[in-house]
Amino acid sequence: MTIISKLKTLGVALALTLAAHAVEAADITVSSKIDTEGNLLGNVIAQVLASHGLTVNNRISLGSTPILRKAIIAGEIDIYPEYTGNAAFFFNKADDGLWKDAAKGYAEAKKLDYDANKIVWLDPAPANNTWAIGILGDVATANKLVTLTDFGKWVTGGGKVKLAGSAEFVNSAAALPAFEKTYAFTLKPDQLLVLSGGDTAATIKGAAEQTDGVNAAMVYGTDGGISAAGLVVLDDDKGVQPVYAPTPIIREAALKAHPEIAAWLKPVFATFDLKTLQTLNGRIQVNGESAKEVAASYLKSKGFVK
Amino acid sequence: MNSGFSASATRRGFRSAAFAGLKRGSFDKLGVVVALLTFAALLFEPFVTLRANRIVSGKGVNVFDALPHATAFAAVVVIAIVAAAAIARTATWIRAVGAGLALVVLAFLVGETPPHLIGPNQPLARVTPAGAFWLIGFAFALLLTDAIGRLRLGPWARLAILAVAFGIAAAFLVSGQWDGLSVMKEYAVHSDSFWQEAASHVELALASLGGALVVGLPLGVACQASPRLRELTLPVLNIVQTIPSIAMYGLMMAPLAWFAAKVPGAAELGIRGIGTAPALIALFLYSLLPVVGNTVVGLDSVPAQSLEAAQGMGMTRRQRLLGIELPLATPVILTGVRIVLVQNIGLVTIAALIGGGGFGVFVFQGIGQAATDLVLLGAIPTIALAFSAAVILDALVDILKGKT
Repeated sequence: MTIISKLKTLGVALALTLAAHAVEAADITVSSKIDTEGNLLGNVIAQVLASHGLTVNNRISLGSTPILRKAIIAGEIDIYPEYTGNAAFFFNKADDGLWKDAAKGYAEAKKLDYDANKIVWLDPAPANNTWAIGILGDVATANKLVTLTDFGKWVTGGGKVKLAGSAEFVNSAAALPAFEKTYAFTLKPDQLLVLSGGDTAATIKGAAEQTDGVNAAMVYGTDGGISAAGLVVLDDDKGVQPVYAPTPIIREAALKAHPEIAAWLKPVFATFDLKTLQTLNGRIQVNGESAKEVAASYLKSKGFVK
Repeated sequence: MNSGFSASATRRGFRSAAFAGLKRGSFDKLGVVVALLTFAALLFEPFVTLRANRIVSGKGVNVFDALPHATAFAAVVVIAIVAAAAIARTATWIRAVGAGLALVVLAFLVGETPPHLIGPNQPLARVTPAGAFWLIGFAFALLLTDAIGRLRLGPWARLAILAVAFGIAAAFLVSGQWDGLSVMKEYAVHSDSFWQEAASHVELALASLGGALVVGLPLGVACQASPRLRELTLPVLNIVQTIPSIAMYGLMMAPLAWFAAKVPGAAELGIRGIGTAPALIALFLYSLLPVVGNTVVGLDSVPAQSLEAAQGMGMTRRQRLLGIELPLATPVILTGVRIVLVQNIGLVTIAALIGGGGFGVFVFQGIGQAATDLVLLGAIPTIALAFSAAVILDALVDILKGKT
């Protein structure tokens, strides 16, 4: 008898748990990816909206990109930061050259996502979080390397370089091979340290510690570890890589309920250039501050939130 | 049982003047391992790692550099005494107390290192326990579990020891002794979400277990009664068990999102493609095999005489099941519950990838930032939870066995 009654209690407890997770009334559900920049920008959006009096349901650090896409299309979240270049993959148009142009890429992403999913891309940040090559600061200064054109000439002229990159970066046609072709240089196998499955955190670490003679690394433009590791990002002056500009994207229904959101976020995202994002990401990743506090102190210092 | 080893050890001259007072054949095999491990770790392994900031690699610092000299010396003496007591075949309870004491000393010491190593102008520097700490900790934990095993403690005593261990850990945490360590620095930053994630971790593990019991127990009873149903059910559950967890969570998303969108009321109940619902259902499915399987095995193992006696007394099928069979099968069923709970506590970690929350959030954020400290902030509580669940349910099984 006791077992049956225990089971009943458990069943009730289970139902209550499910019910407890039912949606609470909130004006808007803010979400983000589980990475450092997602955490930062998600908190920025949530705090800006809250400062204007909206009740925010916080789903920051929800998961990876596919999860976020499914969630916003299903209407389970309302707004999250996405990258313009990713639209190329959402809509199977990765081969199109227009993604390399910031304005055209943004316009195309905005149009495609609105037509297909009624998702509105608000104003993007003037930063580009794309694949790039970072090189140790003293090497860059000594050899006057600012752009990838400089880098290509230097490498071809016998510059002593060893680059750490993921297997994907080294092999996929859109990454290193594209750089090599456009900037007319070739890295021999002994000038590469391939970390299969490695992410930029690992490659940056490799360059910072000069593991195995590494002095250059695959990076993403706004990585927080870049300046802490003493690296500088070489400018992609011929625009080889698609532009990945961080942009808040929102469901049309949610935007219609609070149309002012677009105007609230625009000036905030306008301040997020490459260097600012690097610094803020660095405070989270290197200093170990919480994304919430970094976002709060930044918004306050810029006067967006009182 | 130790005579073979000690004889040869004696022949090789292990029996030095220091142990001359000990009886012949009085070396303890495990004690020698513990002492050697401790000795080697102290000499050759760094006690802590010092890093300039959160993500760079650090350099190892040995125990004598990591601590003020007097503290280091006192600590080494205490550890050496316990190790010597472990080598000599001292009374088991002395070994248990000594090992426990050594662990407490170790835990205290590691908290002493950050203030000694980090200056006031290095706010970003991090100190993390390293090889020697873990090896010595492992050695004495081994000694402790061995001694506790040899003491053949009852379930209540084991629970009491677990409670004491938690009490000591809590005292260290509350007193701030560990606040300088890197994992606690992560905790300081994430303290607001830590307990929230802890709650959802436990909630997910328990709720999925609850669901599995509600469905699995009747299913197990039915399977035991009908061989055909058993042949149908168990292979399916076996296959479910082999699906990798990431794939399972992924599989849950699409149908649930559809369900939430099309079935009225489903979304209001909290059923959706991401978050708690898919995590709960995936964990529930993983939980079914151990529950159903152990229910079947447990009922099968009820002695035929008991059943005949029950039948002879004129008990109905229902009375037999609830009054005789299930109570007798309970220890085996609880063993299944133990497997499920420990397994689920581990698997919940992956749920962070689909927005399910739990300690996995810290693990995956940490991986993304190359911040091992943050990974540990998620991993250590998960391990502590799983370990405690195992000890508690083991004790529960013993308590119930004792009663039947």
